Amino acid sequence: MNDVAVIGAGMTVFQRRLKETGKELSYLATKMALEEAGITKKDIDMVVMGSAPDAFDGIHQKGENLLDGAAGAGKPYVRVFNGGGTGVFAPIAGWWHVASGVADIALVVCEEKMGNCYPHPQTAFRHIWDPILDRPLAPNLVWLFAMEMNRYMTKYNIKKEDIARVAVKNKRNAVGHPCAQLPDEKITIEDVLNSEMMAWPVQRLDISPPSDGASALIFCSKDKVRQFTDDPVWVDGVGWNIDSTMWTNRDLSFPRYVANAARMAYKMAGIHNPRKEIDFAEPYDPFDYKELHHMEGLLLCNKGEAPILTREGVTERDGNMPMCPSGGLMGVGNPIAATMGQKICELYWQLAGKAGKRQIPTDPQVGVGQAWGDIMQMATVAVLRRG
Amino acid sequence: MTFLEKQTDPTTPMHWNGDMQADYFYSNGVAGDKFFKHLMKKDTFLASECPKCGVIFIPPRLYCEDCFCDIPDENWMEVKSQGIIRANTTAMIDAHGDPLEEPVIMALIDIDETDGAMLGRVKTEILDMDLCGLTVKAVLRPKNEREGTMKDILYYEPY
Ligand SMILES: [Zn+2]
Repeated sequence: MNDVAVIGAGMTVFQRRLKETGKELSYLATKMALEEAGITKKDIDMVVMGSAPDAFDGIHQKGENLLDGAAGAGKPYVRVFNGGGTGVFAPIAGWWHVASGVADIALVVCEEKMGNCYPHPQTAFRHIWDPILDRPLAPNLVWLFAMEMNRYMTKYNIKKEDIARVAVKNKRNAVGHPCAQLPDEKITIEDVLNSEMMAWPVQRLDISPPSDGASALIFCSKDKVRQFTDDPVWVDGVGWNIDSTMWTNRDLSFPRYVANAARMAYKMAGIHNPRKEIDFAEPYDPFDYKELHHMEGLLLCNKGEAPILTREGVTERDGNMPMCPSGGLMGVGNPIAATMGQKICELYWQLAGKAGKRQIPTDPQVGVGQAWGDIMQMATVAVLRRG
Repeated sequence: MTFLEKQTDPTTPMHWNGDMQADYFYSNGVAGDKFFKHLMKKDTFLASECPKCGVIFIPPRLYCEDCFCDIPDENWMEVKSQGIIRANTTAMIDAHGDPLEEPVIMALIDIDETDGAMLGRVKTEILDMDLCGLTVKAVLRPKNEREGTMKDILYYEPY
């Protein structure tokens, strides 16, 4: 297997609805990544597109529609897709294009245009359920996560205010992010606890907003990387894992699929003690409780311990184990696949010292990013290292 | 106070209105047919037990996803249509984000004598939001009105 480095990244602004089409968004993100890497379309050997359900953009087989904006026209090009897991799975696919030796330089573009889906992108989620067992009961996704949040709170005796802290931290972290949709310097725990009750225990400010946006990342083989940088950021390990759609048979208090994916990535990266060897993380945070759930799944603390560490300030940007220094999905926005921008591009920017106002002050060397998708099923994990 | 993202007018940018019309018949499948045909005649559920690992699946299945083996007919069993709430929500809004006329309680119910759970709606006079641990039983449609779908289970209620 060849060593793989990151040499450039790009990300558009995230907003509820943008004027640009999906391919225009892809173009903007791709252009930024190419400029950061100092290369052009002709240097790209292969392209990977990550984009979640067709139903958001409202274009069946949208990968083909998007490709010309993603520098994919006339090139080996493939779309990968596993729901919310896509934001980290697409870079995993980009990594294996280079690790396998098939490509020297691979471009990964992630795009989502949820604003096309009318009146609300939640409508598209109504059709992800088992058609025989679940759909006749007309559940919706927020209700499902409300049950998972309840299960997590019940099992470990967690107070709602300790979950709300994550929303506050991430919306504040997002203040320095040029792409952020919902940064808020002044938000308080009370704001979250007083926001509209959607499906107990989930309130309006526990959820990340639907969004339009795109992000891009460029991978390079070890042989070529010295042409571009003397201080590369490496992909040290990747992992992915999925459980069946029979989610009702699972406990819900611990995401075992995340732990399985994390173990795979840590083994590849030679990490034996993730709590000591990993400096910061970007766990997937479409809901505030999910950051806690995923921090535990990533084996960065004991089960039920994440809310305590959050309360103690350990997960703040200047804490011992910063979580979501980008501002995460809660603060920057949630255009499903395009959250590669917070989960993997951010690792690169932090490790390369390019995170600007968001820069972790303690000179981090190793970071882990993670996404989750489908019905309590999919986990995708990548470990990046400096130098 | 923070910005509360709800709905912005999607018609603001220039646009064209389209839809992706498609309608479907979803077949119940082999295991589903058996489960629902039973439910049309009885007030109990069917479950199926893996011959290798012993896990009892509800809703019942033709195969075990772990052992990856068949579950033969003789490993199907009748169980009571009752259980304990493992997790619940009380929903105030629908999938569009609009308020519901009445809150809906949805729960994951660990079904007695099995290793599985059923998703279902709950009706109760209990005012607590958190119903974890409550024992509930299924309320089914009158037998002559059952149609062989999940809708034959009207809701669960405490007993
Ligand atoms: Zn088995």
